[in-house]
Amino acid sequence: MMHPVDTILSLVLLSVLFSFGSSRLPGLILVVGFQGIVASIVPFFIGHGMSAGGVIFTFVTLAVRGIIIPMSIYWVIKKVAIRREVEPIIGYHASIFCGLGLIVAATFISRQLNIPTISDYTLLFPAAIALLVSGMFLLMARRNAIAMVLGYIMMENGIYLIGTTFSVRARHIVEFGILLDVLAGVMIMAIILQNIKQTFDDVDTALLRTLKD
Amino acid sequence: MSQFFTAILIIILGGSISLVLARQVRLMRIIAVFLLSAGCFWGLFNALTNLIQSGSDTASFTYLNVFSLTFQMDGLSSFFLVAIFAVSLFAAIYSFHYLEDSQNPLRTAVHYFFFSILIASMALVVTAANMITFMLSWEIMSLSSFFLVIYNHHSAENRKAGFLYFVFSHVGAMFIFAAFGIAYGYSGNFGFGAMASLPDTAKMLIFIFTFIGFGSKAGVFPFHVWLPYAHPAAPSHISAVMSGVMIKTGIYGIIRIYALLDFHTPVCGNILIIAGAVSGVLGVVYALGQHDIKRLLAYHSVENIGIILMGLGIGMTGVSSGNPLMAILGFSGGLLHVLNHSIFKSLLFMGAGMVVHKTGTRSIDALGGLIKNMKITGTTFIIGSLAICGLPPFNGFVSEFFIYIGGFKGVALDKSAFVMSILAIISLAIIGGLALACFTKVVGVVFQGEPRTKAAENVDEKGSSMLVSMVILAAACIVIGIFPRIFIHLSLNAVSALGLGYARVPLAPFERITGNITFGATIFLGVLLLVMAIRFLAYRGKSISRSGTWGCGFTQPTVRMQYTGSSYAASILELFSPVAPLEEKHLKIKGRFPVKTQYQSHVNDIADRHLNRLIVNPVLSLFDKLRWIQHGDIHLYIGYILLAIVLLLFFI
Repeated sequence: MMHPVDTILSLVLLSVLFSFGSSRLPGLILVVGFQGIVASIVPFFIGHGMSAGGVIFTFVTLAVRGIIIPMSIYWVIKKVAIRREVEPIIGYHASIFCGLGLIVAATFISRQLNIPTISDYTLLFPAAIALLVSGMFLLMARRNAIAMVLGYIMMENGIYLIGTTFSVRARHIVEFGILLDVLAGVMIMAIILQNIKQTFDDVDTALLRTLKD
Repeated sequence: MSQFFTAILIIILGGSISLVLARQVRLMRIIAVFLLSAGCFWGLFNALTNLIQSGSDTASFTYLNVFSLTFQMDGLSSFFLVAIFAVSLFAAIYSFHYLEDSQNPLRTAVHYFFFSILIASMALVVTAANMITFMLSWEIMSLSSFFLVIYNHHSAENRKAGFLYFVFSHVGAMFIFAAFGIAYGYSGNFGFGAMASLPDTAKMLIFIFTFIGFGSKAGVFPFHVWLPYAHPAAPSHISAVMSGVMIKTGIYGIIRIYALLDFHTPVCGNILIIAGAVSGVLGVVYALGQHDIKRLLAYHSVENIGIILMGLGIGMTGVSSGNPLMAILGFSGGLLHVLNHSIFKSLLFMGAGMVVHKTGTRSIDALGGLIKNMKITGTTFIIGSLAICGLPPFNGFVSEFFIYIGGFKGVALDKSAFVMSILAIISLAIIGGLALACFTKVVGVVFQGEPRTKAAENVDEKGSSMLVSMVILAAACIVIGIFPRIFIHLSLNAVSALGLGYARVPLAPFERITGNITFGATIFLGVLLLVMAIRFLAYRGKSISRSGTWGCGFTQPTVRMQYTGSSYAASILELFSPVAPLEEKHLKIKGRFPVKTQYQSHVNDIADRHLNRLIVNPVLSLFDKLRWIQHGDIHLYIGYILLAIVLLLFFI
């Protein structure tokens, strides 16, 4: 029988493909929010003796990752008139195809790494690596700056998933560090975004090329 | 060692407080200078007592549960600490008035912060007792001095100088890293103690690598290229510290590694003597051709590093050929020259700093007649010049004399040792003569004669803290020159820490030499006083009229009739034109009554030129070809990262 963690994570893997295929920002935000929620609740199912603090902490993470950040991004694109298209460099079909290849590669790599503590959950490590690399892929293959921010958050979700599995004892510290990382990253990106918007009157990052001396 | 660390803490505290007090400029300078000099004084006192008692002390801290930071203070460390703290003490005092009219208080505060870090890290470098501690302190020292070099970072020239220094110090550090890597690879131990048990080939490699690495810090030819750029860029008291003691940490590294390796082949001595002879002679030749007073002093540092290396080389030759007396003469002469050079070179830089501060120009040929208005600066500068030329009764003479005697002991030896000793003696003689020519040029053109430009007229010398430091350092030059006994004992204590197994060296020859020096100096002073008295008596009651220098009976003399520094040096430079090509530019003189003409000359440093030709240009053209990687497209940059991660995941 499949472990519930694996069931959830298979959804994450599907959402990766979905995010590669979505052409509009709101859909992408929804997918990233979903991944955030799923990544946050995984610790409940792994269940390393959750303490009260641990439960509260997990909920906080869930709130930040799954609700606050996606909501605020959604609010931003609504308020600032940003084009809703993600403007791909690599087309949607090609992206989905890459996504499939990515998942296969992630599974292969996680077999190779062979980390004993998480061998109970077949999909945990592949899903984490797939999230990480596909976040990277979105960063690379989408020209819209908001889509890139979303890719970054996806990457952080992947790191968080790896973090939940690695350190059982010092988990809160690691998670807290990652959370701060996300906040700082999103804030920096917001500032950069504002500057790009002010300078070029658009959030197309390919325009940054004109700054080269 | 707790006293030593207290001194370090006081120094760093002084630097940190200045950052906090950046708004109250005057208060900040008072507190920073007070704490820095108090810390230096305490450190100096502590190092001196340790050196006199020839004690040895260690301290160890564990860092991150992995690395242990170990410090050891033996005779050699204490000897260098004495030089470091003494020069830094006076440099700190000097800075009080030197930075008085600084426009930017924050910059002054940052300067004091990095100054304190530099002093502390230099002290830690010479006390470090394992590789990690050493490299840590070494890097902090290089970085803090880099920030001090770019103090005036608004001028593009200074930024370039800083960059050059940065590159050289880190290429040098890479060589040291490589050497330590070899040592670690063989012994598996970060401690210095394990180096003695390595195989001979590894020792040879380590010696050569560390020689290049430390040589680039010390300014050994051809790794000296950064020195003449960095020293003029830095504020004068920083030049004093950098030239006086920071480059000596390179010497410390060479001698410490030599002692640790316990590797007594003639090759080490030969390398040092040849490198020393080349740096010494070329350093002074290039110095002769300079027009910038601080650049000139920087080249003299190259020269003196050469003298020190020759002293150490004679010491090593003495060890390898089993001649203890020659070894100790060479080592103690070299080490004493480290101390002496740090004193007179910082004195000269401070004097030059006073001149630059008051006249606003560093060009030698734009000055003149300064001694009439700057009596103290001029007199102390002359004392420093005589000392650096190695003339009795000043301190430079004592150490060079020891190196000479060590060299003459080596003449009795066989083949290579004989050749090396002769080489050292001849180059020392050449260096001495050329240094004298060079400093007659500086003193004659800058301080004597008549002012050549408006800038040199109506100057004054104000700033008691600057004058006090210079007077004390000049007094130290005379004291060491007349009573060298105690200082020779200090350097002998430092030599005994090298662990060469000469525990009981007969002190009698040293006593005799120092006694003779004191006797000679006393006679010299007696004759001097006698001549002065006779002159006073002979001129009493006669009317003395004063007129312009070099007036020579002209009715309409102009200041342009004076000898310039360039013309004075030209005939000597011509002799050395193969190694110091002189580039001259002047308009052709036309007609019987030529109107206006100009002349420019520049001495090319062959190391500078060939390093450019052989290393800098190929590297630049290679990276020019790789410029397409840097295309400015953010997505492809992320693609690079992704590619790197994927490759790492697959292959590691």
